[in-house]
Amino acid sequence: MPRRRIYNPVTELLTAALLVVLVLVVNRWEFSLAVLVLGVLPAVLLSGRARRIGLALALVTGPLLISSLLLHGLFFPEGERILLDLGIARVSVEGLVFAAVLGVRTSVFAGVLLTTAMTLDIAELLATMTHRGWNRKLVFVVGSSVGLIPHVALRGQQITRAQQARGLVVGRGPVSRLRGLLAVTTPLVIGLLVDASERNHMLESRGFSAAVARTSYLPDSDTAGQRVFRRLLLLGVGLSCAVWLIVSVPR
Amino acid sequence: MISLEVGSFAHDGAAPALTDVSLSVQPGEHVVVTGASGSGKTTLVRLLAGLTGLDAGATLLGSITLGDQRLRFDGSPQDPRIDAARWSAQVAYVAQGAWGQLSMMSSTVGEEVAFGLANRGVPGAQLRSRVEEVAAVLGLTPLLHRDPRRLSGGQLQRTLIAAAVVQRPRVLVLDEPFQGLDDDAVREVAAALEVLRGEGTGVVVSAPLLPLDAPRSARVLALAGGRPVFDGPLVDARSAGLGRYGIGTVGEPPGAAAVEDPTSAGTGAGPVLVELRNVSFSYPDERGARPVSGLRGVDLEVRPGEIVALRGPNGSGKSTLLQHLDGLLRAGGGSVTVDGTLIGRQPTGSFAGTVGYLFQDTDQQLFERTVLREVAYGPRVTGARRAEAERRAAAALAEVGLRAVGEVHPYELGFVQRRLVALASLIATGPRLWVLDEPTAGLDAPARGTMAALLAAHARAGGAVVLATHDAAFAEVVAHRSLWLDDGRIVREGR
Repeated sequence: MPRRRIYNPVTELLTAALLVVLVLVVNRWEFSLAVLVLGVLPAVLLSGRARRIGLALALVTGPLLISSLLLHGLFFPEGERILLDLGIARVSVEGLVFAAVLGVRTSVFAGVLLTTAMTLDIAELLATMTHRGWNRKLVFVVGSSVGLIPHVALRGQQITRAQQARGLVVGRGPVSRLRGLLAVTTPLVIGLLVDASERNHMLESRGFSAAVARTSYLPDSDTAGQRVFRRLLLLGVGLSCAVWLIVSVPR
Repeated sequence: MISLEVGSFAHDGAAPALTDVSLSVQPGEHVVVTGASGSGKTTLVRLLAGLTGLDAGATLLGSITLGDQRLRFDGSPQDPRIDAARWSAQVAYVAQGAWGQLSMMSSTVGEEVAFGLANRGVPGAQLRSRVEEVAAVLGLTPLLHRDPRRLSGGQLQRTLIAAAVVQRPRVLVLDEPFQGLDDDAVREVAAALEVLRGEGTGVVVSAPLLPLDAPRSARVLALAGGRPVFDGPLVDARSAGLGRYGIGTVGEPPGAAAVEDPTSAGTGAGPVLVELRNVSFSYPDERGARPVSGLRGVDLEVRPGEIVALRGPNGSGKSTLLQHLDGLLRAGGGSVTVDGTLIGRQPTGSFAGTVGYLFQDTDQQLFERTVLREVAYGPRVTGARRAEAERRAAAALAEVGLRAVGEVHPYELGFVQRRLVALASLIATGPRLWVLDEPTAGLDAPARGTMAALLAAHARAGGAVVLATHDAAFAEVVAHRSLWLDDGRIVREGR
C-alpha cells in the first residue's frame, strides 16, 4: 500500500534536497549515520514500497560501497595504523574509517533521493508547480520526462519482441544482452522522435505557447502552512550550514 | 461554417497531392473523406485542420474559409500563415497515431482532457466542470481517474476526441480514427461522434473504406489520385461503383476475384504443422493479485494448406493463443508443437525460420532505416548472407506490391503500406506457418484483396496460416475454418 501523504510533494522534494546539502556540508560520519538511521531508514520502511526501494538502493549503492571499501580500505596512502600488510596493499584503520564515512554518506544520498523519487506524487508535484506559477516549459519538461519513462520501457519491450519474432536470438550472456540492447536503441529513438514531431503540433494546437498563466485541473493541495515551513526550512538549513562552515574551518 | 477550395496543393516540389477539390462542412454535418491509400485524404483533412505546411515548402493555390474569415493562398511567400492555437479553438483535429497525441504529462484522463484549457488559463473550477461536461457526453466519466497510457484503443481514441472538443470547436476533424480498432471500439467512437454532431459540431472523418457506423445523412467525398471522384450522400456512395477507385465498404468480402474458394484447396493434407494439447496460460499480475487467465485447456491442430481464423470478442484469448505459436508466450500447462518441434525453453528467435508473426500494432515491428533493410532483417538474422537477404527482401516486397519503396524510411509510408511492409518482412524469412494478428485492420480495399490473395497462395503452396480477426467477411471468404474463443477457451468451430 502506498503511504498516506502528509506533505505536499514540493515540501518533500525540498526536504530531501536540503538533507543532501546538510550531509554534504556537515562532514561528520556521526551526523551522516544519524540521518541514515533516524531519517532515511524510517522513511524507507514507512514508504509502503520498502522492498522496491531496498532493491534499488542495493543496486545503486552496492557496487559503490564495495569499490570504496576495496580502494580506500586497501590503498589509503595516509594510513598509519596498519592492520594487515599484503605487500602492494595495506589494510589501514584510517582507510577503513574513510571508506565507512564515504559509504554512510553515499547511502544517505542514495536513500534520500531514491525514496523521494520512488514515492513522489508527480501529478501533485506538477499541479503545485503550476499553482505556484512556475515556468510552464519547466513544468512540461519535468512532467513529460517522468511520463515518458513507462512509455519508453513498453516500446523498448515491444521492439525486442518484434525482433525476436523475426529471428533475433538474445542469449543470457552479457555480450548477447548488450547486442540486444543496441538493436533496440535506434528504432526506439526514431519512434520517440516521430511521436515527438506529432506531439509538437499537438502542443501548439492545444495552446501550449499561450502567454497567459497556466492553470491546473488538480486543486491546489499546497497550504500556507507548508509554504511558511518551506521558507523556514530553507532559512534554517542555510543558517546552519553557514554557522557550521564558520565554526568548523580551522583558524 | 468551414470551406476549402483547393486548385492545387503540393508538398515541397512534389507532384500535386490534391487537385480541384472543394469541401464545405455545415454545423451538425457528418462528412466522410474516403479514398484508397495515397488518394490525398490525409492531406485534405490536414488542410482543414490548418496544417498547410507552407513553412515546410508546400504550395497551396486556393482558399480556406472559416466562418467569416477567408484566407487566400496563391503560392507566394506572402501567403497567410495559420496560428495553430487560434485555429484549433474552432477546428479541432485528431491525427493518426494516438501516442503522439498524448501530452505525456497527464497522469489521469481528466488532466489529459483539461490540458488545452489549462494552457489557455481557464480557471480551475470552470476547467473541471468543462471536463466533466465533455466526459459525460463522450461516456468518459468512469475513466477520468484512469491513466491515459493504459486505456484500450477505443477508450484512448475517445479521450483524444474529448481533449480536442473540450475547447468547444465548431468542427471536429479526425484522420482515420477507426484505424486498428475492433468492432466494439469502432461503435464506441462512432456513438461519441454522433453525440457531438447532435450538439451541432460539424464532423469530418477520413477513412479508407465507406463506414457502416456513420449516420444515414452522412455525406461522402471520395478521392482518387488527389482528385474528387464522388461527392454526395453515403447511401448513394455505396452504389456509385467506387470499387474501381479502390474504395470498398466495411464488412465487404475482400477482392473476391483474387481468392480461390478455400474448400477446394487441399486442406488436411500431410502431417500436422501446429499442435496444441490442453494448453493453459495465465498472465502474471504485477501486484501479486490473482493471475489473469489467458487460455484454458486449448486443443488445436493445423495442417499444411490450412487457413484457420480465430474469432471472438476482445480479451477472449486470440492474441494470447497466437503468441504461443512462436514462443513469444510459453504455455503454463499442456504442450505446443510446431513443425515437429516441441516449444520448450528455446529462444523465441529460434522459431523465426518456421513461424512468421505479424503483430497487431504495425509500428511496434518496424525498426530499420529503410524498407529494404527492414524486410531483409529476418533473412539476415536467420543466417542468410546480405546479398541473398536483400534478394529475398526485394522478392517479398514485389509480392506485396511495394517494389518501388525499398530505399524509403518505413515511417515515410502511409499506414497501409507500412502494414504491407510488415507482411513482406514476414514473407522474406520464408516461414511455413504465418501467424497474423488482425491482418486487415485499417487496410483499404486493394490491400485487403492483396492480403487475401497472399494468404490463399501461401496455403496452396503448402504453408499454413493462423490469424486472429474481427473482420468476419474476410474470415468467411479466406479461412477454411473459424474457431470462436471466449474467456480463453475454444467454444465453437465452423466456417
